[in-house]
Amino acid sequence: MLRYRNLIGALDAAPAGRRFLTSWIDEDEQQTLTFGEFRSRARAQAAVLRSHGLTAGDRVVIIMPQGIPAMTVFVGAMMLGAVPTFLAYPNFKVESAKYRSGLAGVTANLSASAVVIDDEFPDDMLGSVTLSNQTRLLRAGSGGDTRDEDAFKTEIHPVIRQDDLAFIQHSAGTTGLQKGVALTHAAVLRQLEHLAYALQIDPAADRVYSWLPLYHDMGLIACFILPMVCHIPVVMQSPLDWVMHPETMLQIIGEHKCTLAWMPNFAFQFTPRRSPQKRWSQYDLSSLRAVVNCSEPVRASSMREFQKAFAAAGLKDEALHSSYAMAENVFAVTQSDPVRGPAHIWADGPQFRSAHRIVPVAEGTAGAVAFVSSGRLLPNLEVRIVSSGSALGGSVLGDGSVGEILVKSDCLFTGYYNRPDLTAQALIDGWYHTGDLGFHLDGELYVVGRKKDLLIVGGENIYPQDVEELVASHSAVHDGRVVALGVYNPDLGTDDIVVVAELESEELLANAVEIEAEIRSRVVAGMGVAVRTIFLKPPKWIVKSTAGKPARSSTREKLLREHPELNVDD
Amino acid sequence: MTAEAQQMIDHILQLIRKPGVTIDENSPLVSSGLIDSMALVDLLLKLEDLTHMRIPAGKVQPKDLDTVAKMFATAARVGKSRK
Repeated sequence: MLRYRNLIGALDAAPAGRRFLTSWIDEDEQQTLTFGEFRSRARAQAAVLRSHGLTAGDRVVIIMPQGIPAMTVFVGAMMLGAVPTFLAYPNFKVESAKYRSGLAGVTANLSASAVVIDDEFPDDMLGSVTLSNQTRLLRAGSGGDTRDEDAFKTEIHPVIRQDDLAFIQHSAGTTGLQKGVALTHAAVLRQLEHLAYALQIDPAADRVYSWLPLYHDMGLIACFILPMVCHIPVVMQSPLDWVMHPETMLQIIGEHKCTLAWMPNFAFQFTPRRSPQKRWSQYDLSSLRAVVNCSEPVRASSMREFQKAFAAAGLKDEALHSSYAMAENVFAVTQSDPVRGPAHIWADGPQFRSAHRIVPVAEGTAGAVAFVSSGRLLPNLEVRIVSSGSALGGSVLGDGSVGEILVKSDCLFTGYYNRPDLTAQALIDGWYHTGDLGFHLDGELYVVGRKKDLLIVGGENIYPQDVEELVASHSAVHDGRVVALGVYNPDLGTDDIVVVAELESEELLANAVEIEAEIRSRVVAGMGVAVRTIFLKPPKWIVKSTAGKPARSSTREKLLREHPELNVDD
Repeated sequence: MTAEAQQMIDHILQLIRKPGVTIDENSPLVSSGLIDSMALVDLLLKLEDLTHMRIPAGKVQPKDLDTVAKMFATAARVGKSRK
């Protein structure tokens, strides 16, 4: 990978006739492009973007449904030396005014030169979208034609340097509190070099399956850019089609003999539980050599459930893998060994919970906690575990001690785009402070939870502040007295969003059912996500910090004390 | 209302487990936040059972399942008889 000048050079080197992208809609509707066809379409898109005045360094926001046109616009922008970013396509549940203001915020922060949408983009989401004067709104049709490609070929190609920005990854699907992770061509190529080595990628044999959204690092890096640079085919479907028909994943992997897939933890439970058991054995998953559990803490029970369910479909035990990844490091920090897989250990429960220490015990010991490792560090990666607590960062901890995970590598991001304030908080002396909690043991990294206030629901990042703001906008809710929490749901294998809100007066509790319904629809209209449970409380219930703000962790403890039904053994 | 629509309503009430909430054929489910995207598959599998049809992936959007009435209309529009 390091022999390429940039990502476009890597695409240019792919054999023209090799299969690249298959977009799977259903068994009657699929579209496949070779690398040569993909290149032509991307060049045609580049020519269209250039005809609108876009040039090297310009930021281009792409909001299109998951599929080939969105991907060709993304690569077309990179061909010009422009810096593309994917944002989530508006979901029908989201109120248009809210969507428009979020979009205006993101494009303003990026000083984006263009927002590219598809022909079907809902008009009301656009309405009087307040883009600044310098931002153009472009409709990408089915994507240029060969004349456009010819026009592009005759023009002078921009010089794309290794240290130029390649693209920007956003941290969440919603447009609220967005952080744009800025990545250079060199950083992306180095990450892919390490990852391809760790996974022993074989261009002649590997084929990726994906339902992951392109605005998220797993979908963008592992399932689009890695295949593009390593010249391996990908079969993908949209996240919504998958979540509504998880069984189609089994069908696609079998039909296309896919070897690699990445999924967040919850999908390891969701897929077997939501695919009728009577049909499990009809599928053939024997081609899979690695299905990688990524991005949420890896849970032993979820992995086991997937493995047991689909052994009947030929899934190999050794195909279950894990990785710890984040956009700030382009993607993976660790990857489990392709042959041995992740390490499994049991640790003493009380020692883990109160002393934050890992004391290994025999499997099945009463009160023990099971952990699955996220694998070993990729080459050129360094990790430190530090005690959290002191504001200036704690001391470096040894094997078996739980603390915050810090990452240093040769593929780290250069910063959050246009947000030096956020960058300074996260990137200190070359170490990225992940906000995740974990420990090292015998050369393997284990991720056990989060220090930062981030909810991960079904693999999707959600900022609790965005939820809290929407809840607090209800007139019956005391302004600023709302806490949104993630509470683990063992049935789904992911967090549920739980909201605690103080009402203006105790009497309002009589209208609880009505207020709850209104809050629920406000959050859906604002963010497109559903709140699982809402607890309406009388004034002064939420625990405040010394600064007078709701204290998240103490409120959480109080809630779990008063509502033991929320306490789950995870 | 058909017996199937009533069975679907009963299934949804069981799924959401929210005391005090009532729904009819035209109550918004997805856009009101009562049903999240991870529960859509439960509705589709139930709909397939009740209609004896297969509802292909890629032909259905969450908005097509927003009410019980829309679910049955969607099944009639895109459903295929079981092989």
